[in-house]
Formats: sequence, C-alpha cells, structure tokens
Amino acid sequence: MTGKTIYLVLGTAFGFALSRVGASEYDLIFGMFTGIDLTLVWVILTAIVVGHLGMRVLTAAGGKTRRGENIEPKTKPLRPTTIIGGGIMGIGWGLSGACPGTVLAQLGEGKIIALGTVLGLIVGTYVYALLTERGSV
Amino acid sequence: MNGWYETLFVNPWPWWAGGLVIGLLVPLLYYFENVSLGVSTGYGSIIKAIFPGTRLKWFHSSTFADRWGWRVFFLGGMVLGAFISARLGGRPLFTGEMGLFTANVDWSLPLTALFFAVGGFFLGLGARIAGGCTSGHSIHGLATLQPSSLVATIGFLATGIISTYFVRVFLMGGLS
Repeated sequence: MTGKTIYLVLGTAFGFALSRVGASEYDLIFGMFTGIDLTLVWVILTAIVVGHLGMRVLTAAGGKTRRGENIEPKTKPLRPTTIIGGGIMGIGWGLSGACPGTVLAQLGEGKIIALGTVLGLIVGTYVYALLTERGSV
Repeated sequence: MNGWYETLFVNPWPWWAGGLVIGLLVPLLYYFENVSLGVSTGYGSIIKAIFPGTRLKWFHSSTFADRWGWRVFFLGGMVLGAFISARLGGRPLFTGEMGLFTANVDWSLPLTALFFAVGGFFLGLGARIAGGCTSGHSIHGLATLQPSSLVATIGFLATGIISTYFVRVFLMGGLS
C-alpha cells in the first residue's frame, strides 16, 4: 500500500471508532465536562495506555518503521503558550461539544450543525496563520 | 437482537473497545509512516489544498510542503469512517439534531450552527497555539510521556468544564 492509502485506511478506522464508541455524541462530551457521564474519559485513558504500550512494543522490536527507518516520537515543546492555547481550545470544546477530531466524525454521521464547527475551525486556523505572520504568537 | 452485527455496528461500543482502536493508531502511524497521530494541523493542510497560492508564510513551512499532504487523506478518512459507521448502524443520512443542545436550546438551525462555528473558531485557534488537540496532545503526547501535553490537556479540561457550565446554566436553563 502506498502512504496515502494507509492514511486513508487509518483515518477511516479512527473515524469509525470515534463514531462507534460515541465520541461524536454531543451528550457524551457534555457528560464528560459536567461529570454526568465519564465514558469518554475512560476511552481517552484507555487510548493513552494502549498507545504507550504499543510504542513500547515497537521500541522493544527494534524501534524501526516498516521501511527500516528509526522511529523518533515527535516532541512537542513546552511554552507559556501551551497552557494559553490549551485554555482557548477547551472553551471551543465545551461550546461545540466536539474536538478537532470528533467533529469530523459528526460530519460523516450527517450532523449538519458540525459544518458550522468545521468552518469555525478552518477560520481559527487561518487566523493563527495571520497572527504568526505579524509575530503575535 | 444481540447478534454480532448489532454488537459491532449498531450498539455503542464499550469504552475499552474504542480506546483500544484509537490508541493503536499511535504506534501504527509510526510503524507505517513515521508520523505522529494528530488532527488539528490537518485543518491547515485543508486550507493549503484549497488555496495553494496563499502568501502567508505559515502555509509554506515544511509541514505544508505537499499540497495534498497526508493529513488531508487522514482527515478525509475520518469523515468516511464515521459515514460508514452511521450507514451500517442504520442512522439517518442527515440530521439537524445535536443531542442535549438542540433538545434544550430553542434556536434556529442557522443560529445554532453559528454558535458552534464560534466554538470551532476557539478549537482551531487554541489547538494551533497549544501545538495540538485531543489526539495530538492528550492521546499521542501523553502516550509518549510529554510534559507539554499534560499542560495542554489540563488547559483543555479546565476551560472545557467552564464553557460547558456556561452552556448548561445560561443556554439550557440550568439543565440537571
């Protein structure tokens, strides 16, 4: 399989799993942030543990990709803006009942309102590019 | 009515099944293509794919060197995967509903979509400033034990709780 087919297949698995486990349901995000229903907390914690163990298995197996390249997990720098950006994103998560990933699952499920969220996400990303142009962030 | 088809495609999966599939994407993306799981940067890829001639410097970094970068395919797959899920689950093709929000907030569809677009704006801007979203920071970043991802995740949760409280009290009339 070529790279782009693999991305399409893995993306499809991601969207399918998000939809099947209910991460695309407004009520489960509402439930997570109000403490009414913590299903998604358990989903995320399970994903973190499975992801961590999977990376350990890859490392134990030699830490190589299928093409024999060294796997180097991408590090994300810790800056003062990390908490600020996290705080801004959290506002959006609560207002829209979706994160940048789950809104795509909502869209695939035919939730029309998710179109608004996706458009907002595109505008927000574009505004970030404008701000970096001016050196504001 | 609880055959394998219902279990897999109609009834919601238990939390551990969803977490298992989502978590496996972290090592699989490294094994196949040596990239880190993440969604929010992909919105930049979508902008670049639609407007390849943009002059903004940010769209000319190595991340967006390829007009049809991998993220476009990954994000497109996510929409497709959920579409397949909804079709196999026998759900309607389109719906104007959004759970408790549309059940409790008596707004027109355009006004509701506009409100959600404001939420989306915060998602897009915030994720870029933080350097990732739920998948890049909270799942990939925490799975690879990165301090910045813990900080970002604390930020997501703190204001997510506050903004959801706002929606619950001021828009849903204090729904309990």
